Amino acid sequence: MIYLDNSATTFPKPRIVMNAVNNAMVNFGANPGRGGHKLALRASQLMFDARSAVMRFFKARDENSVIFTGNCTHACNMVLKGILKSGDHAVVSCLEHNAVMRPLEKLSHNGVTYTAAAVYPGDNDRTLDSFRKAINRNTKLIFCTQASNVWGIRLPVERITALAHQYGIPVAVDAAQSAGVVDIDLADSGIDFLCCAGHKGLYGPMGTGLLIFNTDISLDTIVEGGTGSNSYSLEQPEILPDRFESGTQNLPGIAGLKAGVEFVMRRRTDNIFSSEMNHMQYLYDNLMRIKGVKLYTARPDKFYCVPVLSFNIDGADSETVSSLLDDFGIAVRAGLHCAPRAHEFMGTLDGGVVRISPSIYTTRGDIDHVILSVSKIAYNLSKR
Amino acid sequence: MGKPLIMVSSITYAMKGKSVLAQMGIRSDIVRTPSDSRNSSCGYSLFVPKKTDEAQKILEENGINVVGRAEKGSAP
Repeated sequence: MIYLDNSATTFPKPRIVMNAVNNAMVNFGANPGRGGHKLALRASQLMFDARSAVMRFFKARDENSVIFTGNCTHACNMVLKGILKSGDHAVVSCLEHNAVMRPLEKLSHNGVTYTAAAVYPGDNDRTLDSFRKAINRNTKLIFCTQASNVWGIRLPVERITALAHQYGIPVAVDAAQSAGVVDIDLADSGIDFLCCAGHKGLYGPMGTGLLIFNTDISLDTIVEGGTGSNSYSLEQPEILPDRFESGTQNLPGIAGLKAGVEFVMRRRTDNIFSSEMNHMQYLYDNLMRIKGVKLYTARPDKFYCVPVLSFNIDGADSETVSSLLDDFGIAVRAGLHCAPRAHEFMGTLDGGVVRISPSIYTTRGDIDHVILSVSKIAYNLSKR
Repeated sequence: MGKPLIMVSSITYAMKGKSVLAQMGIRSDIVRTPSDSRNSSCGYSLFVPKKTDEAQKILEENGINVVGRAEKGSAP
C-alpha cells in the first residue's frame, strides 16, 4: 500500500520510534514523577529527556515550558478555554480546523465572540491587513493555524504575531500540519502558545501532542488532579509543567515522541520540507494535465505552502475517488478533513476534496503510481 | 555547610537541577523529600552532600525553584 494520508497521522513510523515505545514499556514501566524508587526516577528522567529534546527542537524557553498533551486538539482546547472568558473576543483565520472552531463555538455559548479573518493565498500583506481589521478592543487572543490541513496554505504567523503584540494580544498557533515540516523557532517567532500534534510531522505515536508556553501569561486549567507534587494542597499547582499535566502521563508515547523529534532533528526540517514539496509540485504539474481533474490552489510554493495537495475528479464525489484510489492500493483522505471553514473558503463544503499528504518516506515512484491511477479513474469516469 | 537536601517544587526542576549541577561538577542525587512536613508533601529534593550552599546558589541562578532545605530523613 502507498500511504499518502500523513496529514492525519504519519505512517510508517521510524524504526527508532517503535523501538523507543517498546523500550519504555519494557524498561521504564513505573509512573514518572510519582515515586522515589529507582524505576520511577528512571521513568522521570526519560520524560525529562523528552522535554529537553522538544525544547531544543523548537528553541523553547526551558524544559518546564513543554507540556505533554494527548494530541493537538487537546492543546488547542487548553489555550482557548484557559484564556477566553465571557465578553472576550478572539480572532482566528478562515482556514481553521475544528480543533479550534468547535471549542470556540462552545465558548460562544458562554459570551465569547470571534471573528474569522480572511486569508489571501500568496498575498501576506492583505492577509495581515485582514487580521488587523478583525481586532477589536475586546480581543484577548489570536489563534491561527500555521498551515491549512486541507489546502497547505501557510499563514504569515510571525507577522501576525508582531501585529498582535502591538495591541498586547497573545498569539496561539496550531502547528498540527507544520511542526516537523516547517522550521519553528520560538526564540525568534514571538508565538506565545504553540500547539502541536506529536504523531504527524514529529513522527511520534498517536496519542501524543504538545503545548509549549513561550510567554509568562498564565492559563486557567481545564483539567485538575494529581501531579505528584505539593499533594497536601487541594489547589492545582501554579508551576509548569505540573499545572497542566494532571494524571498519569503517556510515557511510552512520550518516549516515542522523543525518538521522533530526534529523528526529525537528524533529518532536518529543511530537507524533509524540500523532499515533500518536490513531490507535491511534481504531482501538481502532472495532475493539471489530466482531463477531469480539478485543482483548487496555485502550484505549491515553498514560501506560501506546506506539502499538501487536494483535488477532485469530475464525475464522482471525493469519497468515491478515495475509494477507487484505495482499490489501486493508495490510501488518501477525502471529505471535509474536520475543517469545514477551510472548505467553505474554497467552495468545496458540499462534497469535500481528495487530499494527498506525503511524508519523509514518500518516493517519486509512489507519486507516479498516484498520477497513473488518477489518470485511469478520470478516464473511466469520463466514459460513464 | 547547611542541610544537604535542597527541596525543589517539581520532578522537572529536580531533573533540570541535577543536570545543571553535573555541568558544574557537583554531584547530586534525586530523592523524595521526607514526608514530615506539609510544605514538602510528595516533593522531590536534590541530595547534595558536598558544596550544598554553592549548589543552591547555582540552582537559583539557573531558574530552579528552590523551596527550602532539609536534613536527609527529616524535613525542617
